[in-house]
Amino acid sequence: MCASVKYNIRGPALIPRMKTKHRIYYITLFSIVLLGLIATGMFQFWPHSIESSSDWSVQKRSIRDVPVVRLPADSPVPERGDLSCRMHTCFDVYRCGFNPKNKIKVYIYSLKKYVDDAGVPVSSTISQEYNELLTAVADSDYYTEDIARACLFIPSIDLLNQNALRVKETAQALAQLSRWDRGTNHLLFNMLPGGPPDYNTALDVPRDRALLAGGGFSTWTYRQGYDVSIPVYSPLSAEVDLPEKGPGPRRYFLLSSQMALHPEYREELAALQARHGEAVLVLDKCTNLSEGIPAARKRCHKHQVFDYPQVLQEATFCVVPRGARLGQAVLSDVLWAGCIPVIIADSYILPFSEVLDWKRASVAVPEEKMSDVYSILQSIPQRQIEEMQRQKWGSVSNPLFLPLIPPQSQGFTAIVLTYDRVESLFRVITEVSKVPSLSKLLVVWNNQNKNPPDDSLWPKIRVPLKVVRTAENKLSNRFFPYDEIETEAVLAIDDDIIMLTSDELQFGYEVWREFPDRLVGYPGRLHLWDHEMSKWKYESEWTNEVSMVLTGAAFYHKYFNYLYTYKMPGDIKNWVDAHMNCEDIAMNFLVANVTGKAVIKVTPRKKFKCPECTAIDGLSLDQTHMVERSECINKFASVFGTMPLKVVEHRADPVLYKDDFPEKLKSFPNIGSL
Amino acid sequence: MQSWRRKSLWLALLASWLLVLLGLFPLLRLSVPTSPWAGAPQGWPRWLDAELLQSFAKPGELLEDGPRPPQALRGGSCNWGACFDTSKCRGGGLKVFVYPAAGPVSETRRRILASVEGSRYHTLSAAEACLLLLLSPDTSTGECDPVPPQWDGGRNHLVLSLHPAPCPRTFQLGQAMVAEASPTVDTFRPGFDVALPLLPEAHPLRGGAPGQLRQHSPRPGVALLALAEDGGRWHVAGTDFSACPWDGRCEQDRGPKQTHPGATLPNATFCLIPGRGPDVLHFLQALQVLTALQEMPLTRVLALRQQTQFLWDAYFSSVEKVIHTTLEVRGIHLMGALVFGSASSLPLSMPLSSDTSSALIIQDRIFGPSAHPSLLWNSPPGAILALPTFSPSPSDFPFYHLQQGSRPLGRFSALIWGGAPGQPPLKLIQAVAGSQHCAQILVLWSSEKPPPTRWPKTAVPLTVIDGHRKVSDRFFPYSAISTDAILSLDAHSSLSTSEVDFAFVVWQSFPERMVGFLTWSHFWDEARGGWGYTAKRTNEFSMVLTSAAFYHRYYHTLFTHALPKALRTLADEAPTCVDVLMNFLVASVTKLPPIKVPYGMWHQEARPPPLEPGGPGLRQEPQPAAQNCINQMAAGFGHMPLVSSRLRLDPVLFKDPVSVLRKKYRSLEKP
Repeated sequence: MCASVKYNIRGPALIPRMKTKHRIYYITLFSIVLLGLIATGMFQFWPHSIESSSDWSVQKRSIRDVPVVRLPADSPVPERGDLSCRMHTCFDVYRCGFNPKNKIKVYIYSLKKYVDDAGVPVSSTISQEYNELLTAVADSDYYTEDIARACLFIPSIDLLNQNALRVKETAQALAQLSRWDRGTNHLLFNMLPGGPPDYNTALDVPRDRALLAGGGFSTWTYRQGYDVSIPVYSPLSAEVDLPEKGPGPRRYFLLSSQMALHPEYREELAALQARHGEAVLVLDKCTNLSEGIPAARKRCHKHQVFDYPQVLQEATFCVVPRGARLGQAVLSDVLWAGCIPVIIADSYILPFSEVLDWKRASVAVPEEKMSDVYSILQSIPQRQIEEMQRQKWGSVSNPLFLPLIPPQSQGFTAIVLTYDRVESLFRVITEVSKVPSLSKLLVVWNNQNKNPPDDSLWPKIRVPLKVVRTAENKLSNRFFPYDEIETEAVLAIDDDIIMLTSDELQFGYEVWREFPDRLVGYPGRLHLWDHEMSKWKYESEWTNEVSMVLTGAAFYHKYFNYLYTYKMPGDIKNWVDAHMNCEDIAMNFLVANVTGKAVIKVTPRKKFKCPECTAIDGLSLDQTHMVERSECINKFASVFGTMPLKVVEHRADPVLYKDDFPEKLKSFPNIGSL
Repeated sequence: MQSWRRKSLWLALLASWLLVLLGLFPLLRLSVPTSPWAGAPQGWPRWLDAELLQSFAKPGELLEDGPRPPQALRGGSCNWGACFDTSKCRGGGLKVFVYPAAGPVSETRRRILASVEGSRYHTLSAAEACLLLLLSPDTSTGECDPVPPQWDGGRNHLVLSLHPAPCPRTFQLGQAMVAEASPTVDTFRPGFDVALPLLPEAHPLRGGAPGQLRQHSPRPGVALLALAEDGGRWHVAGTDFSACPWDGRCEQDRGPKQTHPGATLPNATFCLIPGRGPDVLHFLQALQVLTALQEMPLTRVLALRQQTQFLWDAYFSSVEKVIHTTLEVRGIHLMGALVFGSASSLPLSMPLSSDTSSALIIQDRIFGPSAHPSLLWNSPPGAILALPTFSPSPSDFPFYHLQQGSRPLGRFSALIWGGAPGQPPLKLIQAVAGSQHCAQILVLWSSEKPPPTRWPKTAVPLTVIDGHRKVSDRFFPYSAISTDAILSLDAHSSLSTSEVDFAFVVWQSFPERMVGFLTWSHFWDEARGGWGYTAKRTNEFSMVLTSAAFYHRYYHTLFTHALPKALRTLADEAPTCVDVLMNFLVASVTKLPPIKVPYGMWHQEARPPPLEPGGPGLRQEPQPAAQNCINQMAAGFGHMPLVSSRLRLDPVLFKDPVSVLRKKYRSLEKP
């Protein structure tokens, strides 16, 4: 959701080049309108999965062939908009359920040309923009041709610009739509509401209960949780290409580019310009442009001519004052140019304000404070200005963000991945079972060719022991979110880790409780940047830093099993299973990436070598191993698109570790023995 | 031969024609308009003449929509700016005046009054107040108040009713903001009125019960949904059912029915409280809530669970929090704008003004851009504890570095609290100044005697600040503190450069916590029926001493501007209390223990005994008076915020059997 929201804010910048850019714009617009409705609470339970749209052959017809509908002068007119409408009072939710996959389905009425008794058209048949919008909807997964299955209805009567239609007759046209029913579940689009002299802030066409996606709502006309505020489309973005411009200082501090400004506002801005000189630029319409140059593309200050919208890129802040209407197309231009909008329009409901946090990308100044706008903006620190220019929406959102220490009583589940080293496995089981907080032991039997030993042969331990047989010998099996895991804490342990004492394991669990969103493990490793080779290198030497812990012995939250199994980016999971290596590095990447935090290494370094496997621990093998591990780091960094691992210089020890203090009074005396 | 050749040629020609025709046919079918309105319409048509369509707005129409005079105020509806006179808040910030109640006052009401009076917003003068608070009577015996004296059509008034008013109001609310539980959509003015939670009568005034969530993820096997039934009972639906638990027709299909008395909340992942209405159950059924909940991704369930706890702890758990949130919601427009770039312009331009809060809001730019982004409201520790006056930029706070993808600024300021007679703490200054991360040394001189004129030459600037001889001075947000990190020290503290370096690097990983060397731990004293704390070395700890600790400079602002004055006074009277208080404050924000780093035992032998009896001693057992302080603090906070830790963070190779030459912090290894 965030991605598409962000997309739309930067939207205009991404809508270059005629056709396709229009389409992207309208598809985005429509999805955000739907998102807006979802945010109102009505649809928030809807699964937003994409249903593949059925293939339909496109018709090619001429606008001139559109059937004509004559509206008798006395045909019914809908009630005025019902201001008290809310989703639960004016919206019929029953039409929206009971279709495959619970998808919101949208129906579009076919295009007609409406004329009055005298044969005079009620409005222009359809505008280019509204046609694009409807095409975008029809191409989307929301579209249905079956009016009986539809949840939302969109009339093809073009209401984008109130000035281009006759209010009463258009309302009559709406009222005779086949499923109108007081406008229930009908969605209308309007960008330019009102007309002279009053300029209402919402469409004047009586529309009863219909939902309105409108540009320029004010708090008086906006039905919170019902209507959706949309931006006023600026055609410029389709005509012009703007190069991208990064954050940083720009030539003008404050710029005004609006042509139609109330004289009072223009005076105040001119006063600001007089006071602050070069920093403020107030532009106006050009009076002496030569023929053939579109006035929309030029702005003037005295005799100086500026290209519009390019000039917007030269300013840090751009004022967007109200005109006759609250919604101004210039807002789109300003956002597109990466200028921070300064919105001076009291009671204006900013576009998509239900889902967007405008405070992060704009500054709102009350109309009566317009003369102070310069000093108000001056007091914003540079850092915040840069944040607004970037419109950065959070870099990491830790899935386990609530600071809490889980109760010790919960205990942990040990998961031992094993293939066929039964003797060693049994020793591990016996050792681990001595840890007070162990609540269950799960053996993942990864050998399909051999059955696990008979029940009677397993060590007798005080906690439940379960053996899970896997279908394939894959390393990822160790990180599968087995139903048997009932505790939040998981201890992943290899079947050859017999050297960890009960004190060390219990202490590791205690440390995990204080850092439940991190990997808490014993052997630590480091990644380094190899300047010669220009790539990452794996390091297992005695270093002063750690950035990974091996999952051969590590505690972590079971949620990360779910993430590893279902949300691992790219082909990392397959890579790990194909290479039979680096599942631990992948887990370190995954957790660091999603939490933004470093691992916690516990207790001093030990020799983690299994007595049985000295034979394969030769030097050459060791080197191949290091090369392979380095390769994994480089591969994962490229898949993640970043290096998420964090380097730290600390490890966790018991409070009194190696302190001059009677050993028998220490909680965890048996720590660090080799 | 030839005929065969010709035949094959023909064949090839025929085949290619066939291919061409087959290939063309669909294209032809598309390009030839089918009879316009025959059969079912197929999607939205591609108009042949779409290029000829006009734009919805005429050229120039978007640019010149006719200027219009600034809109006049409309009656009926109110919004911020229209019905609120911000000029009254100039120079005073969000100053709140509370009308004293006429006649007998209910306990709840008395406590609300006490809560506002104890807050940083309170003022005694209605004339200087920016906001006038009128409490609605909350008991049936309470008489309905007459129109208050400064009413003025309700302008700048906030009418607060935690419970439905027992008697109809005798006057129109007019331009007053209304804060009440369950307001109706018809009268609620978004962005102006405030919707409050409906609090039970016995809701605690302060502190409040911490959230009951003990783990991030739901327990396996716990019910998915509990449905509130009439009479405060809950109907719990198991995870495995597919039938509609609320639909009478499938009564026989539902899982084991459990009902709970209203007092206990059901053990379920989601709780659904349907509104009252005849059709509400059908409505819920139509929404297919259950299916949606079952399909909800685990990540979202986790996030929702945690957010409930955060919201409860931050805004709901006590009457005080509800009231402060209300004031904060309304004050936000003001406070956000008040001190832009406050970090540099906070009270600090003048050393220790006696009335710091008035200095805080010197700026007259009231009601500018609000700088309280939703991040501050919606992530821990919440908007009450994240003072918008501190900074408009979230990355200046200690809590948002992860979300912002930022890091705390790279160096620290050492703040040495001194004033004891004798030589300046030469060794300490040199050890601290020797750290590569040290930006400056500040000496807070708090003695009657003038500070020494000669200070040791150091690589970093050394500044002497004149303090006010109060213990709480040491946590004042001095403007001279230019870094995010503060190393708080006493003149008699003893530290080595290595220790300082390592502790600072650790703090950078945990900028929201205190990182210290010496620790205390608290415990529940059954015998005395109260809290106690000890400086004895134990296997766990919950406080670090501020005589040697790193923490974020934000906590100085919070200590000075957010703590109730009574607690600060208490700390001034019993100096050891100041350590307890600072630890309480940080723990109530982080909900986590502080962090301990290694500290050489040799310091303690070398250190002279503390000169001030009862001063923040290092290994001294707290005096009985001090023991009492922890209980007063716990009462003041409304709960015990301290959390214990059982670990110490050491350098990675600490005391490992490897050559010292490999070790970065080798001098920490001294016995």
